[in-house]
Amino acid sequence: MKLSKLLLMAFSVSLFVSCSSDDDNDQIEYKNGFLILNEGSAGQGSVSFSSNDFNVFEKDAYTAANGSDLLGKYAQNIFFDGDRAYIIAGGSNVINVVNKYTFKLIAKIDTGLANPRYGVVKDGKAYVTNANTYFSASNPNGNTDDYVAVINLATNTYESKINLNATANRLVEKNGKLYITEPYNSDKLLVVNIATKALEAPVAIGSSADGIEENNGTLYILRGPYEDRSEIVKVKLADNSISRITFPESLDGAAFLDVYENKIYYTVGNSVYSIATTATEASTTAIVTPSLGYLYGFAVNNNRIYLADSGDFKADSKAYIYSLTGSLQKELTVGVGPNGFYFND
Amino acid sequence: MLVVNYKTTARAVEWEGKQQDASQETCLCNKYRALGKKSVEIMTLRIRFAFLLVMLCQLISAQSDSIKLKEVVVSDANLKKYSNSQSVLKLNDSIINKNEALLTDLLNFNSTIYFKEYGRGMLSTVSFRGTTSSQTAVIWNGININSQMNGSTDFNTISGSDYNSISVKAGGGSVIYGSGAIGGTVHLNNDLAFYNRFENNLKLDYGSFNTIGINYKTNISNEKWSAQIGFSKNSSTNDYKYLDRYTWRGEQRWNQNGQYDIITMSANAGYKIDSKNTLKLYSQFSNTDRNTSLVVETETKSKYVNGFNRSLLEYDGDFGKFKTNFKTAYIFENYQYFPDNSSNIYTYGKTESLITKVDLGYTLFKSTQINGILDYNRTKGYGSSFGDHVREISSAGILVKQDFSEAWKNELGVRKEFTDNYKSPVLFSLGSSYQFSKLYNLKLNVSRNFRIPTYNDLYWEEGGNPDLKPESSYQAEIGNVFTFKNISLTQTFYYIKIKDLLQWVPGKNGIWSPTNKDNVNSYGAETLLSWKKQFGKNNLSANASYAYTASKDEATKKQLFFVPYNKVTASVAYSRNRISAYYQFLYNGFVYTRADNNPDEIINDYNISNVGIDYDFKFLDSFKLGFQVLNIFNKNYESLEDRPMPGRNFNMYLTLKF
Repeated sequence: MKLSKLLLMAFSVSLFVSCSSDDDNDQIEYKNGFLILNEGSAGQGSVSFSSNDFNVFEKDAYTAANGSDLLGKYAQNIFFDGDRAYIIAGGSNVINVVNKYTFKLIAKIDTGLANPRYGVVKDGKAYVTNANTYFSASNPNGNTDDYVAVINLATNTYESKINLNATANRLVEKNGKLYITEPYNSDKLLVVNIATKALEAPVAIGSSADGIEENNGTLYILRGPYEDRSEIVKVKLADNSISRITFPESLDGAAFLDVYENKIYYTVGNSVYSIATTATEASTTAIVTPSLGYLYGFAVNNNRIYLADSGDFKADSKAYIYSLTGSLQKELTVGVGPNGFYFND
Repeated sequence: MLVVNYKTTARAVEWEGKQQDASQETCLCNKYRALGKKSVEIMTLRIRFAFLLVMLCQLISAQSDSIKLKEVVVSDANLKKYSNSQSVLKLNDSIINKNEALLTDLLNFNSTIYFKEYGRGMLSTVSFRGTTSSQTAVIWNGININSQMNGSTDFNTISGSDYNSISVKAGGGSVIYGSGAIGGTVHLNNDLAFYNRFENNLKLDYGSFNTIGINYKTNISNEKWSAQIGFSKNSSTNDYKYLDRYTWRGEQRWNQNGQYDIITMSANAGYKIDSKNTLKLYSQFSNTDRNTSLVVETETKSKYVNGFNRSLLEYDGDFGKFKTNFKTAYIFENYQYFPDNSSNIYTYGKTESLITKVDLGYTLFKSTQINGILDYNRTKGYGSSFGDHVREISSAGILVKQDFSEAWKNELGVRKEFTDNYKSPVLFSLGSSYQFSKLYNLKLNVSRNFRIPTYNDLYWEEGGNPDLKPESSYQAEIGNVFTFKNISLTQTFYYIKIKDLLQWVPGKNGIWSPTNKDNVNSYGAETLLSWKKQFGKNNLSANASYAYTASKDEATKKQLFFVPYNKVTASVAYSRNRISAYYQFLYNGFVYTRADNNPDEIINDYNISNVGIDYDFKFLDSFKLGFQVLNIFNKNYESLEDRPMPGRNFNMYLTLKF
């Protein structure tokens, strides 16, 4: 071994080729547009950018800015703080911190994370849900070991964690509290007090709750239980009181929700519906039902509906941008497994 | 959280699957479960064998003709007998010893098969003639040993030195070898010899990245008995540096969590009861304890442990015109996947198969032989992800071999399987070989072959689809064999039409599920060249192969991903007296990594070269000390995206025969 190492060194020295980096001089500024997060599959996750007028498009902004650096597997979520974007790669236990306009890598947060999912920012700290281990016969604790990682954004380091004794996925922050849903093994809305880092009394909302949005002091939560009626559960933050809009059977399996300008937009299958935030009944008239494989990402913003097709995870897939009335404005070829839209204004 | 397969939450589970996924070609997001536990139900095994012995005794006592003894009894008689119309590349001891221990290296440098390795020593799957990893069958002494769980074989769990010879047969072979023999078959054979000898072979390897190999084999035989006992252990810390790759912090990147340790033990025995009746018992145990190399440094370190235990009892009766061969085998395979090395949490899968096969041969005329084959296969599979299922498959087949003359040989086979699990096509094979002259031999073969759905495909929770059809293929090939003095050139053109390819796709509610989706047309050409020459004390030999493969999705006309258009291998060996030296070369053309043939998403072509030299000190029967330089030109290459392979590295070996 010694000998071989010596020889290796000798050869290496004689043939040393220095690492070259691709300096991109005509760097695009990723402003006035939106990001599409592509989960990736066999390869790494990626982020696509399109300007709002669709004139500027970059399919893989991270690689364009950072060369051979690997973003990580299963890109899950992006959250922002100031001019920084934080890209969570769940399969690689890492959060890539980039400048949101240049996508140049600033740092990587790579400790204290175990299958990180979604993040929010409050007062210079990020709160990131971690799925941790998964339940199995040999791992009975899999459904109680999820936690929120607290990350100091000044130093980009993991600081502490808040154990949840439950499962956790999507979250929102309001008034110093984290509200957390999880669609597979939870029927509660978890409430975490950031100041005390303690769990408060959870709210019983029902199973399969996933999409969660806060608007004017109310949480809007979409649940689409298997073989049961879908619901929008409204939680009034002042007193945690709840009211429900139960969907008719024809809308079983509701998937995504977004609240935009006093309207709730939700999806069932590939169809998009909307109702007023004050409505008490669901709409069964679709705004648009695009023909796509499987709806994997959804957002409503800037007077547009954004839809992502999962594709087959073996090739680049597509994102579709519609007007609020359902006319197609743009079809974009993005990366593998697009799962979310984020807005860079 | 529950192991689910919905939407984004599913990713962790898919990741587990992908990490180990044998066949990305079919995007088995939930797949690849290897094998592994050491304990087998030895009791049941014993009972089965006892029962068999009783049966055999009855068979034996009923016979009385006489026939001449052969010196070597091949373990898979049909491989020789029914492959006149196809090309078979046989790799013997001396070639096996010149390659790194694991089968991936041996076949990568010496055959037209394309390999996809998840890093050095990690999961390694093949594409043969443009087919998927579960469309190449691995045959151990005549028995198909592809995993019942994922349908394929991991070539980095097999050590070449455990066998006397390894043959690569290109083209369809389902009539004889069953599921998966579409692209071709790889045969691992232990041939038993019946003459007086007591031989020991020991090979010790020590190389870069603490790669240690211990391979020992002993042969003890006389005219009645033959025994072969083998042991191999190959391990490595496998912590090689990635050439020219650095982390964002500027640190040198290296292969983390790539340790492997593979142990295999084999014991084979043959007994000639009398001139007509022979009994053979083959058994093998193996355990692979392997971590999974990280793509990104921050990933959770996982590992999987897999293993198998197989036993095969075989009876040969040779009564002149009438020959019988009776086989019964027990095969156990299992895996345990640990998503996190540091904890004891794992998922697992196991299968146990009992295979019995009766092959009755009859010589109708001098020129015509008929074999009737019946077999029965019962597999019980259970695991954390696919419940507990039993599947029974029976089949009946007939093989006919007719030699019109010494020059013109024909073969025909038909086989049909019977099972409740799926609809099985009628398989056939039809071949002809005509030796026009000493110089030129023409071979023709057409066949229909298939690959049955695996346990994962049928029963995976959630997503398994019990209503799958087998993948099936029609295949035609023309082979031209030119032999001129010391040169042999084989050129084969083939066309394969594959139907109902099994693909895992995201379905309703985002649950991934397999369906019979695509049709593939694969065509190409293979060229094998070998040359040998002796000048006085100097021996020179050269071998080369070239494969051109176009494997296109019928609907999209795109090349299948991870199928290179071009692959070249070459080797030159020279020996004189006690010294021998050799050079190996491999060129793999680029491959697409995406189904849409996105030109930005490819793995670049690469060529690598190895050199080796050894000297025989002749202390014992043979005492060779050798030194190898692998990837001598220090090429920076990947076999799979973001999984760099090692640069220049070294190996030393000692081969003893006594």
